[in-house]
This record gives sequence, C-alpha cells and structure tokens, in this order.
Amino acid sequence: MTNRHIAASVTNLRLKFPDDPQLRFKDLSISFEKGEKVLLLGPSGCGKSTFLQVLSGLIPSSIEVPVKTEDIQLPQSWGYVFQDPDTQFCMPYVDEEIAFVLENLCVPRQEMPTRIKALLAEVGLTFDDLHTNIQTLSGGMKQRLAIASVLALEPDVLFLDEPTAMLDPEGSKSIWDTVKNVSDEKTLLIVEHKLEHVLDLVERIVLFNQNGEIIADGEKGYILTHYKSTLKEHGVWYPGVWEDYLRSRTKPLMNDPRAEIVFDLQGFQGLRKKDPAITVPSATITTGEWITITGANGAGKSTLLLSLMQFLKTKGTYTLFGNSVKKTRNVTEYLTFVFQNPEFQFVTNTVYDEVAYALRIEQMDEQFIEEKVNERLECFGLNGLRKHHPYQLSIGQKRRLSVAASIIKNPPVLLLDEPTFGQDSRNTFALLEMLEEYRVNGTTILMVTHDEEIVKHFATRVWKIDDGQLTSDYFNVEKELVNA
Amino acid sequence: MNLDLTIKKTWLYKINPSLKLLVMVLLFIGVLFVHQLNMIVYGTLSALLLLILFSGHPPKRLALLSIPFIIVFVSTASSMILFGKGDTTWFKWGLIHITEESFYRGIHLGFRALVFATLGLTFSLTTRPVYLFYSLMQQVKLNPKYAYSFMAGFRLIPIMIEEFQTIRNAMVVRGVQQQKGIRSFYFKLKSYSIPLLSQSIRRAHRIAVAMEAKRFSEVKKRTFYYKIGFSGYDVVFIVSWVFLIGAAYYLSLNVPILPTGDVRYE
Repeated sequence: MTNRHIAASVTNLRLKFPDDPQLRFKDLSISFEKGEKVLLLGPSGCGKSTFLQVLSGLIPSSIEVPVKTEDIQLPQSWGYVFQDPDTQFCMPYVDEEIAFVLENLCVPRQEMPTRIKALLAEVGLTFDDLHTNIQTLSGGMKQRLAIASVLALEPDVLFLDEPTAMLDPEGSKSIWDTVKNVSDEKTLLIVEHKLEHVLDLVERIVLFNQNGEIIADGEKGYILTHYKSTLKEHGVWYPGVWEDYLRSRTKPLMNDPRAEIVFDLQGFQGLRKKDPAITVPSATITTGEWITITGANGAGKSTLLLSLMQFLKTKGTYTLFGNSVKKTRNVTEYLTFVFQNPEFQFVTNTVYDEVAYALRIEQMDEQFIEEKVNERLECFGLNGLRKHHPYQLSIGQKRRLSVAASIIKNPPVLLLDEPTFGQDSRNTFALLEMLEEYRVNGTTILMVTHDEEIVKHFATRVWKIDDGQLTSDYFNVEKELVNA
Repeated sequence: MNLDLTIKKTWLYKINPSLKLLVMVLLFIGVLFVHQLNMIVYGTLSALLLLILFSGHPPKRLALLSIPFIIVFVSTASSMILFGKGDTTWFKWGLIHITEESFYRGIHLGFRALVFATLGLTFSLTTRPVYLFYSLMQQVKLNPKYAYSFMAGFRLIPIMIEEFQTIRNAMVVRGVQQQKGIRSFYFKLKSYSIPLLSQSIRRAHRIAVAMEAKRFSEVKKRTFYYKIGFSGYDVVFIVSWVFLIGAAYYLSLNVPILPTGDVRYE
C-alpha cells in the first residue's frame, strides 16, 4: 500500500541486534507525511539512529541487521547526514567529494563544475578554489559540505542523525541555519538532543523510551510542556535545562582558603614546528581553582593543555609547585590529562583493572587497591560494570571511567579537553558535580570548553584564547561560593 | 600532522597514470634481466636524472627520501661483497671472503635495488593516487568498488597518524612507559594497536555506509569527474625511456665506468 501523501512509514517493525537478548523494536508503527519536520527524542541507546537507518533503507541494505516489517514505505529520494564529520567523505577534496555523488547519479562531466558551485552556494560555502582539502575545514564547514553532497541527490526526505553532536555552538548554529534554508519543501526526520536551534525548525516531536517504544507523538509545544520530566530524565538538552538544574543544585562550597601556588608561568610558549602556537605572558594558578579555557576553533586551547603536559616543546618559565619543570623529570606525577576521546586512554580489559592500573604500577598492596578502586567505582556509578570491557560501555560511562582512572592517584592538577563534548545533559551535570567535589578539596582544574553555561556556573576563573594568545584572564564573579 | 607535499607540477605529472604504471612495471621486470654491470649503472643514472630534474620536488626532500634507499644499497651490496662466491681473492678473514667477482656482483645487486627505488620513488612522487585510480577505472576498467575503497583508505592515513600521536600521549599520562621488561613490550603493543584498529574499523564501516547512502552501488555505469586520457606527454615519456635505455646500452659498451661485464658467477 502506498499513499501519495506519506513520505515514509512503517508498520509493526521488529528489529534485533545479534548480541542483544531483547528486540530493539517490537511492533513499532509510525508514518510521516510529506513536508513534515519531525524531531525524534529519547535516551541514548534507545535506537533512534537505528530507526532512521531502517526508514532510509540503509538497514538492511548496507548494514546487515535482521529486521521484519508488515509493511514499509521507504522514501523515493532521500539524503542522510551522519554524526561524525570525519567519516562521511571518501574523497580528499571538496569538489571531488560532491563529484563522487554526481558520478553515482551519472551526471555528465561537463555539468559537474556548475552543479558543484550551486550546491556549495546553497549551504553557504564559498571557496576561492573548489579544489580545497577537506581536512583543512572546520567541523561546521565539513558538516555543511556533507549537507551539500546530500543535496546533490535532490532528496524529498532528509535524515539528520545528530549532525551537530561533534560541533561547537557556532558550528551547530550554522548547520541548523543551513538546514532551515534548504528544507522548505522537504520532509525532515531529525535525531538530536541539543534542542536550542532545532526547535524553531520542527513541528512534531516523537518521544521514545529506553526500550525503543514510542511514548508520545505530537505537536512540539504539547510534548515540551507535558513531558518535561521525561526529557530531563533522558538527558535531553531542552530549553531551560540549566535553570532547572541550577534550581536543584546545592550551592558550590568555598574551598580551603590556604591556597598554594601550583603553576607559575612567565613568557610561557608552546611550540609547534618551532613556531609559538600558544603564548601565556604571565599567570599564576593556585590550588582549588577551576579555570575554563574558551576560544574559537583552532585558537590554541588544546595546544595550551598539551604544552603544560610537556607533550610539545615549550619556552619560557614554567614552575610547578615551586620547581622548574625542566628539572622535574615527570610532570605526570602532578598533572593528569583527560583526552577528548576516552578510548585512547584505556589500557586494560576490564573496568576494574582500568581504575586499578595506576596503583598497580606503583606496586601498592592489592588489598589497599581493592578498597580504593571499589570506593571510586561506587562514586562514579560504575560499580555494576566492573567486569565489562571498557569499550563496551556507553559514551557517558566511558568518559566517567577515563576520569576515574586518571584521578585515582589524586593528582593535584586535572587537565580536561572538552570533557562534556557530545554528552547528554544528565551525564554532563553528573561529571561537572564530580569535578566540583574535587575542586572543593583543593584540586586545580583546567578545562577546555565551548559551553558558556559551564563557564558561568562552574568556573572560578576564565581564560580566553585568541589566535594563540591568552588575551583575557578574570575571576568569575557569577559563581557564588558559600562557606562550608 | 602535515603530509601536504607542495610541489611544482612537471610534465611527469601529466602522463597518463596507467601508462606510467605499466612502463614502470616493464622496467622493473626488464632490470631483472640486466647482468651487465655498466649497463645497470648507467640505467640507474638515467633514472636518477629523471627523478632529480623532473619530479618537481626540492633536492633537499629528495635527498631525505633517499636515505632509506642508500641503506638498502649498502646492506644488499655489502652482504654479497663480504660473503659471495668468487675466485680472485682480495681479502679473507674468517667467514668474510671478498673476491673480485663477489665485489662486482655486490655492486651490481646494490644498483639493482637502487634502480627499483628510484623508479618507485619517481612514480609515487609524481602521481596523485586519485588520478591513478580514475585512470585505472577508465583505461584498465578497474571495478569502481576497489578504486573508491582505496581512495577512501588514503584519507584515513593522516587521521591514523594523528591518532597514533594522541595515543602515545595518552599512554604517557597513564604511566605505561614506567612498565619494564618483555611483558611490557607486549602490553604496549596491545595498548597502541587495539584502539588504533578499533577506531579504524569503526571509521571504515561508517565511511562505507556513508558512501552507500550517497548511492554508490555495484552498478558499474557511472560518469567521471576527471577524464583521464592520453596526450603528447605520454609519447615524450616513452621516447625518453627508449632514448635513455639506448644511451645506457651504448655508454656501457663504449665508455664503461667499471672494468667488468657480465657479473654472473659460472
């Protein structure tokens, strides 16, 4: 049965992943009208992305997963934009990537250059030379290029699977503006948990629960007002999530006033290929400070952390607890670093061993290790997962594990590179609160972030980096601290 | 990580890549049948001439890239020189036995390795992989499935190098380098390879799905953004090789550099 007004529909969908004991979807039925703009919401791991892949036909044609339906109507023409900007392209240059799609559609070669220019113009990308290396583009530009190459398919239905999950706020905004511009007549099916910009775009919201069942489906205003607590529980970044959180949180505590100087930087420079990539003219940092480092993409925020870790060559004065770093053989005794991708830091086969690793290297007593690790697993909510392989955890759990494993030895300084990146609101708040607890106990935290709200409510001090220079350094007065 | 080798595009870049590959393969095979020492020396010199004059890369970079090949030259040549068979002894000490015959055969082997390296370097430095695969699809009718898989794979290499550096830093943070002994070597190998592999497999899978989402399919019919054909440069390339080989042959007969002919040991 096909209906002319229906863009895509499915009746009694059943789907099961080979390793799962349960069905991911059991008798799921839904249909989408032509021209509808729909947002799919649900907790992470509920199968929203899988659902988009079924509706586009990618499952089972490209991704082999057993699936059964009573009736399915796939869109005639569709385009799919994925989450990760680095794994959407198969060609090295901008023009070649769009040409790849045009080649697949058998567009004559002579027409390609004009089509490529038109498609790029549609998503607001202009290049002096179309033959630009994709690796040199920012994340936001890459995702707009992904949209342009998908538009080459002239799709009626656009599937957007968290296209901004890996982007900073500026990049995210540019993506949703672009989608708005190009989607006039099109049907949009969107999975996204940061609602800030996407809400202007959609009319209808479908809400899933943990078991992949639809618990609500309706007009956006209705869903937002009637299901707010569900959204909160699912970690959705709905409008007003920060206000709700701040209302419920306890006031941050003042830390021990007997602060000690941790870092002393004078004319400090981090070098990349012998050129200074980051310069800190003069700064001292004490215990119990939480410094957020903000700035545009490529300004040198991560470079600063890498320089402090001595992963890059550095110049100038850099003293750590009164000792020159040149004389300190190993800064890792004082500093620990949490990388953006937690997987890179995992070295063992179970969650328990991962946390115990740093202590075992020190050859501490096994009983002492057990006590310490258990306490930490409890505190990070990983107790039930102790025998799991780190790679089997969800993204939020992986992040918590990487932090837990890094700070087991209680290092006095914690460096974090966008630890809340791509995380849902629940995981974000949980992680921030854990960090806050450490700070109150005297740990110094330096954290790269793009999130203005985190800066406002958690930082005690704010650093701004412009073009490889620390340009602004002030104490955050908005964060009120109370005496313990 | 910067892998961008900016260069001047010389006429070697404008040769049809499939033809260039074919000529190189023929030369590789041909070199195996050259036993005249002077012939191979002159052959190597002509290949070097082409590389240095027309690859468009600065001499400094070429010198840097040649370092491993010089090492190959020395190691292949020296083992034959020191341990090869021969009658006219120059030097003998224990197992080491240098003879006139083994010396020249060693030099010959070294040059053979060197000419392979020079030809290979000339080819890879003057050919963009994307053009090579477009040409192979158009001239040799290579299945697009393989061509695009390779091109997508090339994109992953710089990403993997960057990742390797990140993992190395992460290992320092975790204190992995503090472990000592043979077991720690195995441990380190595992700590590097598992995240690298798992990321790459995941990435490759995602790219494959993204390619199919852009309607890349088994259907062979498709158009090409780059039309790679033949030009006068291809003729120049073939003629120049005929000339260079001819010249090497003539010079090896008339102006020999080394006082020996066939290096095979009967």
